[in-house]
Amino acid sequence: MRRALRGLGALLVVLAVGAGPAVTQERGVTPTEVVVGTSQPLSGPAAFWGVPVTGGMEAYLRLVNDAGGIHGRRIRLVALDDSYLPPRAVANVRELVERHGVFAIVGLLGSANAFAVRDYIVQQGVIWINPLADATIWAGFRGTRYLFVTYVSYVDEGRLLTEYVARTMGKKTFAVFYQNDLFGQKGLLGVKRGAAATGARVVAAVPYELTDRDFSGHALRLRQSGADAVVIYANPTAGALVVREMTKIGYQPQLVATSALADPAMFALAGEAWNNVILAAYFPLPGTDRKVDEVLANITRINPALARNPFNAVGGVSFIEPFLEGLRRAGPTLTRESFVAAMETIRNWDGEVVRGVTFGPGRRHGVTRIYIVRSEAGQYRRLTPDIEYPPGF
Amino acid sequence: MDLFAQYVVVGLASGSLYALVALGIVLLYRTSRVLNFAHGDLATFATFVAFTLLSAGRPFAVAALAAVVTAAALGAGLYYGILRPARESTLLGQVVITLGCALVLNGLATRLWGADTKVFPFPLSDTRVYRLGQVVVSQLSAVTAAASLLVMGALYLLVQRTRWGLAVRAVSQNMAAAQVLGIPARTLLAATWALSAALGAAAGLLLAPALLLDPFLMLDPFLKGFAAAVLGGMDSPPGAVAGGLVLGVVEALFGGYVSVRFRTTLAFGIIVAVLVLRPQGLLGREFRRRA
Repeated sequence: MRRALRGLGALLVVLAVGAGPAVTQERGVTPTEVVVGTSQPLSGPAAFWGVPVTGGMEAYLRLVNDAGGIHGRRIRLVALDDSYLPPRAVANVRELVERHGVFAIVGLLGSANAFAVRDYIVQQGVIWINPLADATIWAGFRGTRYLFVTYVSYVDEGRLLTEYVARTMGKKTFAVFYQNDLFGQKGLLGVKRGAAATGARVVAAVPYELTDRDFSGHALRLRQSGADAVVIYANPTAGALVVREMTKIGYQPQLVATSALADPAMFALAGEAWNNVILAAYFPLPGTDRKVDEVLANITRINPALARNPFNAVGGVSFIEPFLEGLRRAGPTLTRESFVAAMETIRNWDGEVVRGVTFGPGRRHGVTRIYIVRSEAGQYRRLTPDIEYPPGF
Repeated sequence: MDLFAQYVVVGLASGSLYALVALGIVLLYRTSRVLNFAHGDLATFATFVAFTLLSAGRPFAVAALAAVVTAAALGAGLYYGILRPARESTLLGQVVITLGCALVLNGLATRLWGADTKVFPFPLSDTRVYRLGQVVVSQLSAVTAAASLLVMGALYLLVQRTRWGLAVRAVSQNMAAAQVLGIPARTLLAATWALSAALGAAAGLLLAPALLLDPFLMLDPFLKGFAAAVLGGMDSPPGAVAGGLVLGVVEALFGGYVSVRFRTTLAFGIIVAVLVLRPQGLLGREFRRRA
């Protein structure tokens, strides 16, 4: 009898232990940890972006974790390298979901990569914060329940930049130098829309491939177009090199560039040629805002290498901040649904880097504004207040 | 006409550097029959060594010499340390080994110097230009093109006019016979690896000031150099030079007058066309190893 009772007790213990987690545990969440994942170009020609963005996220998470985490949970980031190649991004995301069991994907970099993994992530019902991709790929897309985006829309950015340069600077003809993928193509589309809205013309569209390194021919094609303004949708290396080549052959149109190039590093890479360039920005740039500079100082203390690329490092922080705010608001009982409900309460919220974030039950496009800056003597000077554009989804 | 001339000048400037890369590839290929996929990454690594020394305030000549010596040591080390112990492997196996070495070197460079792009200090200006009518050429382009041609000339003399060059050619024709004649074939092969890598380093040093420096500096020039080598003939150093210059000019004119979108693809199209129509290349001879 005594043995039978002992056996029954053991059985109850096993059942209790076995049943407990199955009822309450969320994928990627334990009482002490939340696992999140990201896929970034940590090697290859786009590593210029991926390495500091990932480094910024990791350093900021370390600050958060060292301060006790959020509701007692540390946040662990699993970062995988995709070399900016969509097939590798697909493999990485599957690994993050199926092997690492992440609670959320944060900040996957690259429009083409995000497009490639979009259906899988939605199908898996994984929370996805800030794919670093043109935001218009979500417009009209069903299944955005677990998606939250504060990244800029290149189409709207290109349109607003073109409208600004056409209207306030009187430029009538535009040429576009763009990366031949979704990033550049969306920027080109925006420029075309901006030109159409202002009666200006796009007289040349000159693409390049990410692996290209010699832009002398591209610069000649741009000069051949005779455009008043050249809009650049490129990575920093290509952007700097084409501007240098244009200067070399004596072609000096009004230069206009995406927010991805509003990087202080451009002054060193392009030299004198990076003067009087009109750019978009959607968060305060390093050197222009006390809070941003404090964050930069803190993360570079943890990872000194981030000082070499401060713009992308604080960019990394801006991409993960909304996720952390969602965790705070969701409270100690963290599930996907409680997280979504918490994110939907965010209204005009300012992080340390990202500003003016608003989500809601029908809104997943959290930041819908840019402002215009001009590069002057090694600094970016703000020219306009925030310019709003309509949320796309 | 001015525009045409400008495209030709731009093409020749690029082509002279493609030729330098192609020479390194060809020199090694004709001696060992190994296509060295680590050629570009060896060059990048060596260029980073020069960058480190320049950043520490060393004179350019010292930094450049250190880069060339580093590349030569890495090239010889690759042969002695990895390829020679793996001599039982097939040629394809050896090519795959070089591919692995390329990945290791690239990862190491990223680890040591970071993935961010750097301005490579150079005694000449990339923005100071010379004007010939409407045609513009930068001081840097003019001097790098001249330096490339100088290096190519020196290499030609070394291979064609010295006993060492004769021995290298003998080894490439028939290693066993060369060894019987008392030629130290292994040492010569190692020296060829070193020389090829040193040529790559020279290309890296001349490219980095104009193209900026990061761990992927040589990705595009290596592919173009490979295309130039195939175009000119994989066993022909003069062919490599001709191939580089032709590729540079054709590429520039194609981008200017046909399609800038498919400019990058052109090099690969040329590889395919040459392999189908004239596998030995423009100046190459069909290779037959003597029995």
